[in-house]
Amino acid sequence: MMTDARRAALWLLALVAIVIAGDHLFAWTLNRLVVRSQFRYSRVYRGGNRADILVFGDSRGAISFPTPLIEEMTGRRVLNLSYNSMSPPIAEAVLLDYLDHNPPPRMVVLEVSSVIGDGALVTELRTFAGLSPRLAALYRQAHPVAAVAGRLFKLYPLNSEMFLDVLHHMRRPDQDVITQPYRPAGLARIPRGHWRLNPRVENIAAVARIVHLLRARGIEVRLVITPYAPEKQPVNLREFIDLLTKRADAPVWSYAAAIGDPDVFADGVHLHVRGVVELLKILRRDDFFGMARTAGATVNASASR
Amino acid sequence: MLFNSLAFLAFLPLFMIAYWSTKGRARLWVMLVASLVFYGWWDWRFCFLLLFSALVDYSLGILLENEQDDARRRRLIIISIAVNLGLLAFFKYFNFFVGQAAGITLRIILPVGISFYVFKTMSYTIDVYRRTQPAERDLLRFTTFVVFFPELVAGPIVRASRLLPQLARDHRFSYERMVSGAALMASGYVRKVAIADSIAPLVDIRFAHPEAHNSWSLLIGVYLYAFQIYCDFSGYSSIAIGLARILGFDFGVNFDRPYFSRSFSEFWTRWHISLSSWLRDYLYIPLGGNRGGTLRTLRNLMITMLLGGLWHGANWTFVFWGALHGSYLVVERAFIRRLPRVIAILVVFNLTCFAWVFFRAHSFSNAWEVLSGIASMRGSLGDVENRWRTLKCAVMIAVMLGFEAAAWRRTTEVSPAMRLAFVAACAWVVLIFGTFSGNNFIYFQF
Repeated sequence: MMTDARRAALWLLALVAIVIAGDHLFAWTLNRLVVRSQFRYSRVYRGGNRADILVFGDSRGAISFPTPLIEEMTGRRVLNLSYNSMSPPIAEAVLLDYLDHNPPPRMVVLEVSSVIGDGALVTELRTFAGLSPRLAALYRQAHPVAAVAGRLFKLYPLNSEMFLDVLHHMRRPDQDVITQPYRPAGLARIPRGHWRLNPRVENIAAVARIVHLLRARGIEVRLVITPYAPEKQPVNLREFIDLLTKRADAPVWSYAAAIGDPDVFADGVHLHVRGVVELLKILRRDDFFGMARTAGATVNASASR
Repeated sequence: MLFNSLAFLAFLPLFMIAYWSTKGRARLWVMLVASLVFYGWWDWRFCFLLLFSALVDYSLGILLENEQDDARRRRLIIISIAVNLGLLAFFKYFNFFVGQAAGITLRIILPVGISFYVFKTMSYTIDVYRRTQPAERDLLRFTTFVVFFPELVAGPIVRASRLLPQLARDHRFSYERMVSGAALMASGYVRKVAIADSIAPLVDIRFAHPEAHNSWSLLIGVYLYAFQIYCDFSGYSSIAIGLARILGFDFGVNFDRPYFSRSFSEFWTRWHISLSSWLRDYLYIPLGGNRGGTLRTLRNLMITMLLGGLWHGANWTFVFWGALHGSYLVVERAFIRRLPRVIAILVVFNLTCFAWVFFRAHSFSNAWEVLSGIASMRGSLGDVENRWRTLKCAVMIAVMLGFEAAAWRRTTEVSPAMRLAFVAACAWVVLIFGTFSGNNFIYFQF
């Protein structure tokens, strides 16, 4: 008769074996879904995209450049790779991965107010770290312990909100992100406040590297600041633009103050659908997506003039 | 140390090895030292407070047993209650009462779990005073009873009559206990790490800025909170009870599917059972219980629930939460007859959720913002933020409730193979849905 201790040891061994086997099996199956999805980053790593214009940025970039409307306006193929809390180093990694897996675009738009971000998105992007050594390195740098857990347990990298997005967009694209034409009354009441755009050094450096890389490959680049609501205008905007222009050696198309109607903003820093339509009209007027413009030309967007 | 921390992951196997390789008093020493390490992980200074509390009640317990004079015994029990409630009053309620009365506030750090261990030691001396519990004369065993780490910081409140006799025995390792304990721990981790911690940010954002959310979003936030606090607290209890079971101890049940209750009196026999039974035995019954007529019974119910609310924290919102539950019990007892089962469950659940708004809100104005936001009927269901995260949580809650309903009907014993499959499934759920940011358990603040 086996002793209780031996039976317990066997039970624990069986548990470990089943957990690891199931972990690998489920992760393998779910990772197949990750690359088959219509989610933006799934498309990057599946390859075969022929986008003319790529957009990078944080939530402001994601909301301000809805692909269907820009495609309708320009007749170009657009892929918006912005996502909440995307910082320029993450944008750089995704851009390089895109160029590895897909034909180069003709233009890259980078929403540069994302230089104030801390790159929290890298936590979510662990779902794609298995497909990208660049993202894996960024994740390892930000979360060394969790990165080890991710190597031990294959399901763990799929533990993200982004994975739910992947599942949600298995069949339909995710390129039509626009917030509802609704501004919560409470947000409208928030008083006008003084705030500054405080860029991070590593983010500025990444923007400069992106500009350099794109120019070296003959891809046009647009550094842009999308609108802020009147009560949310940063006090150091001019200084911020000068710094970026100097460090990145590229003009910044500033639309920060382009829209004066607070009711077209969802929350002061994000446009809602009416604001986006208004912004696109301004971009069309400025020929923002015009492919003929010479890279590096001094640009004064109408909004900042 | 948190059950959901890397430190505990390292601590547990070391403790298990030390525990099972010792016997008798050596094992008690292992438990004592491990418990102090576990508790001191937050702030080692509070270990002295814990030991002081244990030493006072150990001494008073022996004095109470030895003393034959009733007047002196009364004085001794008053000293015990005064010391215990004094600790609680100073650390937990000083700023609340003195601050409000005299405008003086001190920066006082609340020792983790003080409400739990104070109630545990206080019930011991009261039982010795009533002569329903013999005084423990072994200081090592008594101190281990007070500091025993699985239930030290957030319960269940295991009384001396249950735990001290178990500490006097040398438990032999049991395969069946290990397997069933592991299954309980696994279900606790799923509830805490996968469900409660996934819900937490969705609730936090709604209560932080109710004005920025539409009615549906706020209503969903309130329902989510009901499950967050349930999963958080019952998860902790399951981990504690499961761990104790592996060690050979029986802590009893602390949560028994409370949201399936058909009445509020039933709810309070299913929610935080160790606290509600404590309040019943040491407050409600001494106040007179249901003896002395309807009005006195209703008064006693109300007082018990008000103090139960205050036990949770030094804030009028907790008192109001207790008052609401007291009112529910009073109205139910005075007026309500039996309702159809499903309707009764829904009524009890929704009124419980209404009370949770005050429990969760940081102030009455915050609670009012949430409730008036819900009543304003603004926005639509389609505009609810974080729909996919909300849906994920809803699915996990539904699965958990399905398991609870199934467990209710189960009459046969679960085999070790089934438990193996269950624990493995829990591990996968935690891996893919768990939150590993080391969130505190909600009840730690109490």
